[in-house]
Amino acid sequence: MKRETDYGLEIKPVYTPKDIAGLDYTKDVGDPGSYPFTRGYHPNGYRSRVWTRRMTGGIGSSRRTNEQLKQFRAMGQTQGILVICDRPSAMPIDADHPMGRREAGVLGWHATSLLEFEELMEDIPLTGQSITLLGSAPLSALRLGYVVALAEKRGVDWREVHGSVSEYPFGHIFGQTDNLPLDLNIKLWLDSTEFIVRNKLHIRSGILTQHFQESGGNNPQALAIEIAMLKELLGKLVNERGLDFDDLALIPYELVSVGLRFFEEIAKVRALRRMYAKMARETFKAKTDKACQLLIAVHTSSRTMTYQQPLNNIARCAIETLAGAIAGCTAIDNACLDNAYAEPSPFAARMSLNTQHIVSDETGVTDVTDPLAGSYFVEYLTNKVEEEAYKILQQIEDMGGMIEAVKQGFIKNLMRESALQKQREIESGERLVVGVNELVIPPEEDDKIPIQSVEASDSEEIADRMANWKKTRDIPLLKEKIAQLYDDAKKGYHYNLMPSITEAVKAYGTAGEIIGVIRKAYGYHYDPLEMIDCPFEL
Amino acid sequence: MVNSIVEKIVNGDVRVVAKLIRDIDDGAPGTREILKALYRHTGNAYIIGITGAPGVGKSTLVDQMIQGLRMDGKTVGVLAVDPTSPLSGGAILGDRVRMQRHSLDEGVFIRSLATRGQFGGLTQSTRSVIDVLDAMGKDYIIVETVGVGQDEIDIAKSAHTTVIVVVPGMGDNIQAIKAGIFEVGDIFVINKSDRPDALNTMNDLKAMIDITRRRFKKEGWEPSILMAEAAINKGIVELLNEIEMHRKNRKTLSRETIIRHKKAIARNELTDMIKIRLVEEVLNHITNSLEFKKHLDCIVDGTKDPYSACDELLSAKLNLE
Amino acid sequence: MSNKQRIKVLVSVIGLDGHFTGAEVVSRFLMDAGMEVVYLGIYQTPEMIVSAAIQEHVDVIGISSHAANYEQINLLMDLMKKNNFNVPVMCGGSIPPQDAEVLIKKGVSKIFLPSSTSESIVNYIVSKVKR
Repeated sequence: MKRETDYGLEIKPVYTPKDIAGLDYTKDVGDPGSYPFTRGYHPNGYRSRVWTRRMTGGIGSSRRTNEQLKQFRAMGQTQGILVICDRPSAMPIDADHPMGRREAGVLGWHATSLLEFEELMEDIPLTGQSITLLGSAPLSALRLGYVVALAEKRGVDWREVHGSVSEYPFGHIFGQTDNLPLDLNIKLWLDSTEFIVRNKLHIRSGILTQHFQESGGNNPQALAIEIAMLKELLGKLVNERGLDFDDLALIPYELVSVGLRFFEEIAKVRALRRMYAKMARETFKAKTDKACQLLIAVHTSSRTMTYQQPLNNIARCAIETLAGAIAGCTAIDNACLDNAYAEPSPFAARMSLNTQHIVSDETGVTDVTDPLAGSYFVEYLTNKVEEEAYKILQQIEDMGGMIEAVKQGFIKNLMRESALQKQREIESGERLVVGVNELVIPPEEDDKIPIQSVEASDSEEIADRMANWKKTRDIPLLKEKIAQLYDDAKKGYHYNLMPSITEAVKAYGTAGEIIGVIRKAYGYHYDPLEMIDCPFEL
Repeated sequence: MVNSIVEKIVNGDVRVVAKLIRDIDDGAPGTREILKALYRHTGNAYIIGITGAPGVGKSTLVDQMIQGLRMDGKTVGVLAVDPTSPLSGGAILGDRVRMQRHSLDEGVFIRSLATRGQFGGLTQSTRSVIDVLDAMGKDYIIVETVGVGQDEIDIAKSAHTTVIVVVPGMGDNIQAIKAGIFEVGDIFVINKSDRPDALNTMNDLKAMIDITRRRFKKEGWEPSILMAEAAINKGIVELLNEIEMHRKNRKTLSRETIIRHKKAIARNELTDMIKIRLVEEVLNHITNSLEFKKHLDCIVDGTKDPYSACDELLSAKLNLE
Repeated sequence: MSNKQRIKVLVSVIGLDGHFTGAEVVSRFLMDAGMEVVYLGIYQTPEMIVSAAIQEHVDVIGISSHAANYEQINLLMDLMKKNNFNVPVMCGGSIPPQDAEVLIKKGVSKIFLPSSTSESIVNYIVSKVKR
């Protein structure tokens, strides 16, 4: 069995004050709520507000997802909703696209139009809870449009809606289904976040390492990539869009994957807070405390959920939830016990939400902030993972930053090598996984659990409905708004497309159509899969 | 049997072609007869070699070229060659990834090959495979190679037009690129030309080409340098036009020159074929023999030097002096 | 002729699934085991996969499936039959038992669960491919 961290640092049997000699509490750690925020952002921690306990929603048609969200609410999820979109929406292509109809509503909500959003949110309030819509960068601008449009329809002030609907433009590198050329992805991200900042909306943008780590990346790599992404993206907002860094405080949030190596995961989150604070002050000369704070949410790791003996995953999820809670975060969503099989069944969803409530209500973890601070081992791990992360960050910066590193394939290589390494460790038995390479039981004797199925017919239904509905829209209005969008898109990289995207969204333009004409304006094929042609005459 | 296979290939039967290429690659018996019979059906395709270092965007470029040629109504065969791992003997053939949108087009046949590490980069069977695609009736055959050394030069021997792809910022790499490239390149493409160093790269290339031309006086055609951004389909039309220009230029060469070129190509092809047969029949025979092993043991325990061992083995095998 | 005969494997992700890491890891250890891997990447329809498999004349097809909508794999099996191209098809990924059963009935020759060892995959291919 390997006695090393996930990045190969040797772990000793005992840690003593010597291992953290030189650690200056005020300078390096700080009280909760004080720079460099290693211990967290709120002096009262969870006593002010417990983390949002939520489950990822998104299955089948918008109506079905709506029911699911209501179910979760009944199970105790009252602080916020989290909905992930399906693969067609992520690209984006519409449900009625030849390749869309096979996968619409599978693994997520089909997020391609305002109509779908309206159905998703029926009888669900836009305010009073956080609204988080996840999944793919290209869709960020549209989701922002949906929120603005629905808020207007409901007579709600946009500024009262809080949550996150925007996502970082690098997802494609980490295995997510966005299929927009990187430069265009970045431009749309800049447009939507600039819109958010200038309109003082409380809507954040997810700059995530979850996907990277779920594909196999290790902890210091994740930290380096997070800081590199933030530096580059926030840097562009400052340098290219003329925004003030302190106004950007409300933009970024990170969804970090928390795995089973309990202490390392806690150290990772603490290091991240410190690294972000330092970046804010040193690179961007942040003036306020708020601008040095990165909102961090936790996703318990899907990668650790095994196919074999799925009930074991309840224990895994509990350990990871506890780690996330101790590390300090603003929200936790769980990968469920049946993660290796399918979308969460109600049984699995309830289990996960209960786990969160057990941790928050029965363990006392909400009584004290950053309880492991001062532990020789944990402070040591925090220092070390940060040190290692800076080495990798330096490599990225030497290449010219995150975007260059992506283009040169460096990031993909990190992920690939790390994934290969982890696979080898399991195969050789250096890392043990119960049920997989130890204490294995024959499949016949394995746990039987209820499994959520999605019928292929659901996808077809969503596709047919979309095809028919498209014809019933106010076509002249739509054409007008699409033409305006196309013209605006041709005005160049720095022309913010949010206003015209929002108008197109209100006219019920779909994701495939809106992103399609933007693609066309930039010289790309309308359809990311090059199978269908632009239906508009432009 | 052979005739029916030949007929099917000439009629474009994908399954039969695919199987034959596999058999050629694997060295299956009987392929030689088929290749002999196919030979008279070859000579119609125009062969374009695309080469350059890994990561310059060759496959993306080829993908766009296929699109351009198809829009002109031409059929295309593509051979994408990737290196065999010297350690494991396996390979990852990943060029097809960038061309998959053509996988359902009946006018396009794409095949990936591993170099299998014999005799320099270019797979020994590549020429045979090119012949098969030629006989199959493809108007154009694009051969994309790994670009890590001798390959670039090898491919030029089989191609009518050789295109070398570089990217800006390769900087000192241009000097480091094997000198032979500048002799064989007919067209140079600077891909990803939106990058800042593109003009510098163009100047560097011009300088290298000039030096080479002064030394080797390549007849008639002056190697051209084009800019492209294959990812957004920029510069492709120009590249295809330039290839057409080169093709036309070849026709204007004097008859003596054409015959000289053909002879050079034939010489290379025949010599390589003989080389390969020699290895298979003679070298492997020797290295697998008991005498060889005995000589090895002697060298290891110091009772024989390798020079004498070599002479003895060869004189026994070939009746040499 | 003593040209070593290599096993040729086609590896692809199917449908709109963007997760390529698993497929790339598998391709890597197949290469390390001496096989030639034609790697197709992502966004491949069943039609595209079959067409490539035929042109490349592969011995085995490996599909990476990161959960859900096995309709695509069923379609793939139908197309293989229709084209009379019947090399073994293996699927790897998170596939629930009842869906696995359906796929096997459709003709998929082996399902590899998550955390299958690379050795087991290589051994299976070697045993299935007669070369």
